[in-house]
Amino acid sequence: MASFVFRRLLLAIPTLWFIASAIFLLSKLMPGAFGSAYLAQQEAGYFSRSDAASREHSYRQFLKTTGQDLPLFYFSITSAALPDTLHRVFPERDRAFLAKLSWQYGDPDAATRFFRSTKTLEASLSETERLQVQEQLYTIYSHKDAAELEQATAGIADQLSTTKLLESHFLESSAQLLASSPGYTYLFPSVQWHGSQNQYHRWLSGLLKGSLGTSLRDGRPVATVLGEAIGNTWWLLLVSVLLATLLAMELAILMVRRSGRIWRSTLLPSLFLLDSIPLFVLAMLLLVLLASPAFLQLFPVYGMGYYSAYDQNWLEQLGQWLQFMALPMICLVLANLPYLTNQFYQAVVAVAGQDYIRTARAKGLSEHRVIRGHMLRNALLPVITLLSDFLPALVAGAVIIETIFAIPGVGRLLIDAVLARDYPIIVGIVVIVAVFRLLSHLVSDLLYALADPRIRTHAT
Amino acid sequence: MKNLWHIAHDLWQAAPAFRLALLYLALLTAVALALPWLPLAYGPNELDLEQIYQAPFEWGADAGKARHWLGTDGLGRDVLANTLYGARTAFAISLPVMAIASLIGLTLGAMAGLYGNRRLQMGRALLAALLFGLIPIAYYGIYLPALLSSQGATYADFILTSIVAVLVSLVLVFVLTTLFRRLPLLNKKTFFPTDELLLRLIEVQTSIPRLVLILVLAAIVPPTLPALSVLLVLTFWTGTARLVRAEMLRIRELPFFEAATSLGFTQRRLLVRHALPHLLGPVLVAFSFGLAGLLMLESTLSFLNIGVSTDLVSWGRMIAGIRTNTAAWWLVVIPGALLSLTVLALQTCSYYVLRSLQNKK
Repeated sequence: MASFVFRRLLLAIPTLWFIASAIFLLSKLMPGAFGSAYLAQQEAGYFSRSDAASREHSYRQFLKTTGQDLPLFYFSITSAALPDTLHRVFPERDRAFLAKLSWQYGDPDAATRFFRSTKTLEASLSETERLQVQEQLYTIYSHKDAAELEQATAGIADQLSTTKLLESHFLESSAQLLASSPGYTYLFPSVQWHGSQNQYHRWLSGLLKGSLGTSLRDGRPVATVLGEAIGNTWWLLLVSVLLATLLAMELAILMVRRSGRIWRSTLLPSLFLLDSIPLFVLAMLLLVLLASPAFLQLFPVYGMGYYSAYDQNWLEQLGQWLQFMALPMICLVLANLPYLTNQFYQAVVAVAGQDYIRTARAKGLSEHRVIRGHMLRNALLPVITLLSDFLPALVAGAVIIETIFAIPGVGRLLIDAVLARDYPIIVGIVVIVAVFRLLSHLVSDLLYALADPRIRTHAT
Repeated sequence: MKNLWHIAHDLWQAAPAFRLALLYLALLTAVALALPWLPLAYGPNELDLEQIYQAPFEWGADAGKARHWLGTDGLGRDVLANTLYGARTAFAISLPVMAIASLIGLTLGAMAGLYGNRRLQMGRALLAALLFGLIPIAYYGIYLPALLSSQGATYADFILTSIVAVLVSLVLVFVLTTLFRRLPLLNKKTFFPTDELLLRLIEVQTSIPRLVLILVLAAIVPPTLPALSVLLVLTFWTGTARLVRAEMLRIRELPFFEAATSLGFTQRRLLVRHALPHLLGPVLVAFSFGLAGLLMLESTLSFLNIGVSTDLVSWGRMIAGIRTNTAAWWLVVIPGALLSLTVLALQTCSYYVLRSLQNKK
């Protein structure tokens, strides 16, 4: 048994590693790091005294502390037409400009030199000088062909004093850039080795040590944020799964009885109908009917009740919790009921035709004892595996329900993180969900083996 | 094909529910197709700020304007127009997505079922060389075109890179194969584990719930319709692939297939002429079940406002409108009913087809 569990866990690790790495790498390929929008606000607000330079400084600081200025992976393969140092250029706007320059003129070295000289020149300008050459600078940043660039540099050379131009080597670098011509250098790859100082290495070694990183939004550790959210989701899922399973079992028993024809002919079609209503429509319908002042207001609408008094005892707290959780739980139970009931019913019907059931009936046992005592135990066996297959639908349901009812759980955290592009949180949630799924597979295998001695001997 | 037609014909006569579902679907398709020519007073994105949250059947006596037959939402958008155009959007997204996903699933599943783990033999040298050949394909076929399009290159550049991609990878594979053949370790035949690869791929993909996977990926790609469609295809092919693989494993053992194999037909002919007609029925069932799932997923995503832009007319967007005013029941009931009915009709159809396919066996 132990070797069986061990083998399963060992097989699960590559899958987990692959998924987490894929999501991490994909999330980093997306242009626009978190916080670049903040930098893009050009106008300093009335109350904020920050100017562009200090914002840029704080942005660089942010990138450095979160490790986002490092290269992504151990090695990188880029086109030879792009500069090697491109990944070190921040912010994104400048990076795109340098890439464009180097692509357009086909010479990464000359492009980098020109880029640096332009930046030095720009930094050395005083306020009045900046106003003088603003138009030309704009042209340089957005020019389409070489003639425009030539004109703009000539314009700058006319307006500014020569010392500044000489200091920044502006003119010679622009001449060098203009002399180069685009060829087919882009067809050649350039491979760079970054060593272990990269984002992926940092993230993976952190993960192995049990740290999931810090949230980009508020800088708190991802584990803490997840830990706060997971409790609500866990209880919501657990209670609704238990309720749905019990209800489905009772319904299946009702339908399989000999006198259950009326149940069969009414329940099965209505469950089929219920199955075709999407969860969010169902939740919104119940919300409108049972929690809005226009119809019946039986339940509180949103959230978890933040005005809880501290002197409540645990019974009152539980009461309040139930009050807020009742409607979400009803939704989840109703949404999962059709599938579960159908599976239970199929399993029970398959058992009902067996010989030993006929024997039990022939012995004169009551219908109740035949079903509960003889049928159920055997019918439940195949259903055990079903509960773990059922998990994806549950998690998806939790995401939707938590969003609609504003329950601060993992699902809502995921939606918020997706909308804010808070990648460490997203990757953390993916890892948690995948681990949860693997564990549930394992537990269902174990339960199955415990329930059926034949499998136990077979597995070991 | 003929077989399927017979099944549909029999069901049409025997099962009233099937007839009803099919008629409903046909009607909905006809309305969705004829929508630009229908005399609707309002467009789906037309704002009417004087009549917001108007309930259906309680029309205001505004003489100058056309009626909002089914009411309006918080910005005065007409519910009737939005519902009808929403059907159009839903099918415009889910039909092509499911078609492509079914095609991918059919191909991969049939390959895996036909070749299994020990039927496709190839030299180890060739296998290793092919793996290395993927590198130039990735560089010239994916990375460079992406870079080119971001820098606004001309068509000539794209054609050049694709030619280079093919040439370089072919040369690389050829050279590496001859080189690897000299190594004693690699100069052997090996089995290509088609089935194992497919099963692993499906396992990796399904270890994350589909909605979560799509939400996560939607945070990475820009919220446009083509990007969303690609995501949906990537997550929906697994169901069909699994089904087709299982069905193919069953067909492979049937007497007629063994007879065809022993006659020495090519694998291609076996697949297309002998296996495919038997696979079409299950694929059709998987298609309509998947379509129902896609309709639900698409409206859920637009309800959560993730992965789609806000000017996309859809059922989910209209239902989301109720979150600002919970008294406006018609915003949930009307599009929700249409969505549920469509899903119900699709599921009814596939349920009946599935049942008669099973009865035939």
